[in-house]
Amino acid sequence: MNLDNFKETWQQQNSDTAAITINQTMLTDMKVNKQMKALNNMKWARIIEGVAFFAIIVLLGQYIATDFSLSAPTISAVVLTIFAIVGLAGNIGQIVLISKIDYAKPVSQLQKDIYRVCSHKLQLTKLLLMSVPFYLAYVFIGFDVLVGIDLFPHLEQHMIWIYSLSSLLLLAVTTTLLTKLHYDNIEISWVKNTIRVIVGERLVNMAQFINNIESTHR
Amino acid sequence: MNKPKKTLFAEAMEQHKGIVFKIVNSYCQNRDERQDLAQEILTTMWLAYDNYDNEHKFSTWMYRIALNVAISYYRKDSKRIGRASEDEECLVHIADFSQQEERSEEVMLLYRFIGQLDTLNKAIMLLYLESEPYDSIAHSLGISKTNVATRISRIKETLKKQFESQDV
Repeated sequence: MNLDNFKETWQQQNSDTAAITINQTMLTDMKVNKQMKALNNMKWARIIEGVAFFAIIVLLGQYIATDFSLSAPTISAVVLTIFAIVGLAGNIGQIVLISKIDYAKPVSQLQKDIYRVCSHKLQLTKLLLMSVPFYLAYVFIGFDVLVGIDLFPHLEQHMIWIYSLSSLLLLAVTTTLLTKLHYDNIEISWVKNTIRVIVGERLVNMAQFINNIESTHR
Repeated sequence: MNKPKKTLFAEAMEQHKGIVFKIVNSYCQNRDERQDLAQEILTTMWLAYDNYDNEHKFSTWMYRIALNVAISYYRKDSKRIGRASEDEECLVHIADFSQQEERSEEVMLLYRFIGQLDTLNKAIMLLYLESEPYDSIAHSLGISKTNVATRISRIKETLKKQFESQDV
């Protein structure tokens, strides 16, 4: 039996109107549906996060302005401000992306857009991971704000070496982790499991679908 | 006098509701899921209707939106499916697929076969059965025409083997 022989039978179902009935009164009264509601909720969550990032930037800016020098706490504040700016930019990008979601786009394009919107939590985790090698920045600012001490001049030389080396090591590890955590590598089991834990099964499935589409281009 | 937008949309949906039926039956396992997905497809259509360009074939535009909704919707938490249709007034009613005895054996087998395909191949198969040209399928899905041809050829081969084994 050839697939082409089925086309006519298949298309005859278009006129089989008994199988599906639509409530015409309700149809056009719908202002929003579940998918749109979910996207709208995401947009509000991103706006709130954006405001939080903006507040962090303002606070760190004030902190830098009060002691504009080359001290360890000020440099730390600059480093953390950069991360907050990246976070804020990411949030703005997400808000723009959500407002541009268009279900009439080609399937592969829309699925990628939805993946990018849904993977926000993963991106946020990546941002936090990126700041891990700079963990001393948190320590320096913490000491300065809570105890009023600039910790750096009190550190012994070998401790500075240990902290510097551990930061470099962490930088190498987090860079590897961050480059691997992408839908391109969804077939790698630890990548799949990490994404599943951070964002859930839906994103894993979506990543597999996009990967499947893209593999046909390779 | 021009018909109001609501009327035009309702007429278009009535005319093409077979597309919704085919997609929900190909992508969903049970009746509650099918009904919930059909509702999502129809409301997304309505929300997108303002941007519909008359120069394009309505059924192709409708297929693209319906497939996008089905593919992005289907993977949601299954726990909420069922509750949704119980709690809400029904916008759409889908007849219980398993009880449609009048549906031909061939069509039922075809649905069973489509159900076994992966998400992308399901979409290709649905568009192919509607006699959409390869470049239109490629454009709707965002893949190349060659890939569409390759995938269809593989699907045909698999289907042939499957039907031979069932002696159809």
